Amino acid sequence: MRMSLDRKQSFSSKSWSRCIASLAGCAILGLLCALSGCGEIPSSSSSDVVEQFLGKKEEPSPIQVGILFSQTGSMSISEMPLKHAVIQAIDEINAKGGVLGRPLIPVIRDGRTREDIFAKRARELVDGGASVIFGAWRSVDRKAMIPYVENSETLLFYPLQYEGNESSRSVFYGGMTPNQQILPALEWFMSPEGGSRSRVFLIGSDYVFPRTANYIVKEFLKNKSMQVVGESYVPFEHKDFESHLRAIRESKADLILSTINGTSNIAFFHQFAQLGMNSQATPILATSLGEAGLRSILASETTGHFAAWSFFQSLQQDRARGFVRRFHEEYGIDRPVHDPMESAYTQVYLWREAVERAGSVSADAVRQVLEKTIEVEGPGGLVRIDPRNHHVYKRLRIGRIRPDQQFDVVYESPDWIRPEPYPDFAFPGWDCDWTRGGLQKGPVVKIEE
Amino acid sequence: MFDWIYSIPMPRFAALTCGFFVAFSWIGTVLVRPVLRTFVKHRENVNDLVGYVLSCFGVFYGLLLGLLAVAAYQNYRDVESVVSSEASSLAALATDISAYPEPERKNLVWLLRDYTRDLIKIAWPNQRRGIVSLEGEYTMDAFHERLLRFEPVTAGQEIMHAETLKQFNHYIEKRQLRTLAVSTSIPKVMWSVVLIGAMMNITLVWLFDMRLTSHMFLGGILACFLGLMIFLIATMDNPFRGEFSISADPFQGILARLMEE
Repeated sequence: MRMSLDRKQSFSSKSWSRCIASLAGCAILGLLCALSGCGEIPSSSSSDVVEQFLGKKEEPSPIQVGILFSQTGSMSISEMPLKHAVIQAIDEINAKGGVLGRPLIPVIRDGRTREDIFAKRARELVDGGASVIFGAWRSVDRKAMIPYVENSETLLFYPLQYEGNESSRSVFYGGMTPNQQILPALEWFMSPEGGSRSRVFLIGSDYVFPRTANYIVKEFLKNKSMQVVGESYVPFEHKDFESHLRAIRESKADLILSTINGTSNIAFFHQFAQLGMNSQATPILATSLGEAGLRSILASETTGHFAAWSFFQSLQQDRARGFVRRFHEEYGIDRPVHDPMESAYTQVYLWREAVERAGSVSADAVRQVLEKTIEVEGPGGLVRIDPRNHHVYKRLRIGRIRPDQQFDVVYESPDWIRPEPYPDFAFPGWDCDWTRGGLQKGPVVKIEE
Repeated sequence: MFDWIYSIPMPRFAALTCGFFVAFSWIGTVLVRPVLRTFVKHRENVNDLVGYVLSCFGVFYGLLLGLLAVAAYQNYRDVESVVSSEASSLAALATDISAYPEPERKNLVWLLRDYTRDLIKIAWPNQRRGIVSLEGEYTMDAFHERLLRFEPVTAGQEIMHAETLKQFNHYIEKRQLRTLAVSTSIPKVMWSVVLIGAMMNITLVWLFDMRLTSHMFLGGILACFLGLMIFLIATMDNPFRGEFSISADPFQGILARLMEE
């Protein structure tokens, strides 16, 4: 009897010890939880509690946005700022909650001013799951990328002015076509305000844009008061323009239409000035040179010449000034802002608007929305996509270069100009309307190469 | 394997590590101790014997933990020093390019500014996730290309250009050291030994013969300290990852200076 009582007492003592131990354990665990902020956890499922304790948030899956411009090579001087413009738009969108509540992740690649590299990188971006690619400056690079995006679930947004004569259902063109840029600019130079000029010399880099654009110009000028007095092409990074400039002088041209791209512009303007030619007698109308490119050329060599774009940094509209100000805050006040940057920036917003309306990043869904009338307010004004051909309505502005390498706008088109990638006089029988069956082919047009 | 630990706020990670070892110790004390103690049942001075084994084991394990903690801290300091040295080299490069004639100077300044900005805003957050960004490499390629395109006209420019190229190469070496440090860490096999050693340490404590409350208290203290040590080593293991990581502060001043250039 006594023994059983002892055992009972002993058992009771062990139970008591366990009880104290359990309480101590709970107290220490509770203290650890309190120290780590665990006490704020609301009651929910056990996995949620663990996730919350670990401080992990359930983040929405990001959307990969491909950015493919030349960061090295002769085009880097022009293309690098486009990368910045796209990143700026992405940063702004992410700051406001992303697209469909998902953050945008920029996946940046270098095209190295080589079309084969552009093709390779485009394929990598497509294979890597990029929903959209913003990229390319030169037409050769764009054309190299198109086969990869056409066979994928990725859309390409191309921000540059270009030659037209192209249509792809997977590409959205944010720049101007010749009927929006070069042709109305030439018409202005033919008018008394533009100096009633009648002899134009065509000079450009030797690739598809200058060749095709100049073909369109020659067809356009057939029944006009201006005649083409010469035409020449130079390879990329060409530096010796003396013979070309002598030919221009001998042709008695009173206007030079320059489609020279990249670093060649530095030598071209420098030798133009060295030969004693001036912007009064023979102004250069540059179609591929903006504020960014001008910074590599001495101001004294460019002042008085012209460029035709839709956007200039010197525009005084509130939206334009806001865009420039935000860019300067991020990248420095001395950074020039130019038209293709505005296009690239606006295209990101166009894509975002389409994705939001479609409720999906799927290429088909986004394309369907973009092929309806869609508009966004860009820094240069309202931007509207022409659903027929995936190009945008644009307003032409002609700027005269100032000594501070900004532009004075000397002409602005009264209205938005509808894009025509296949002008009738140059490509008879050709048309593109994706809302009605797509590309309509006419007789083959052979452009000299 | 344990990359997820760097996404946890530091106090929570500390609590988690300590909590895990304390819980392991207590659960074992309640569930495993009665079974383990059958091995040493009816033996005299069992606590002396276990204490002796534990102290021997503790010396070796303590040495391992101590050396690892010192090595992790040393590695952290070394990488911090590499980052400081990289920042100094970048600052020297920024000084060198400010002497170039226009428009080369401007273009070089812009590229260096872009690079520094991307380093702070893109590369550093990526490093915290263990990713080495390509963006900086592209910009540095462009910078190098622009440097090589410059043709000095005067003897002074020649000397300056040669010095800038030398400084650029010096910077690239430093950058390379930093990017390599992103993926350096204590080998997995060593982590396995540390974790198994900690478990063995706690297991030895279960062999003591004492009151349950005292056992849980002493075992808990030891387990908590082991957890803290492991937390410390894990936190310093990857110098660029997690909250306790090397910041991009040394580059902020350079960016501010380049923005004013």
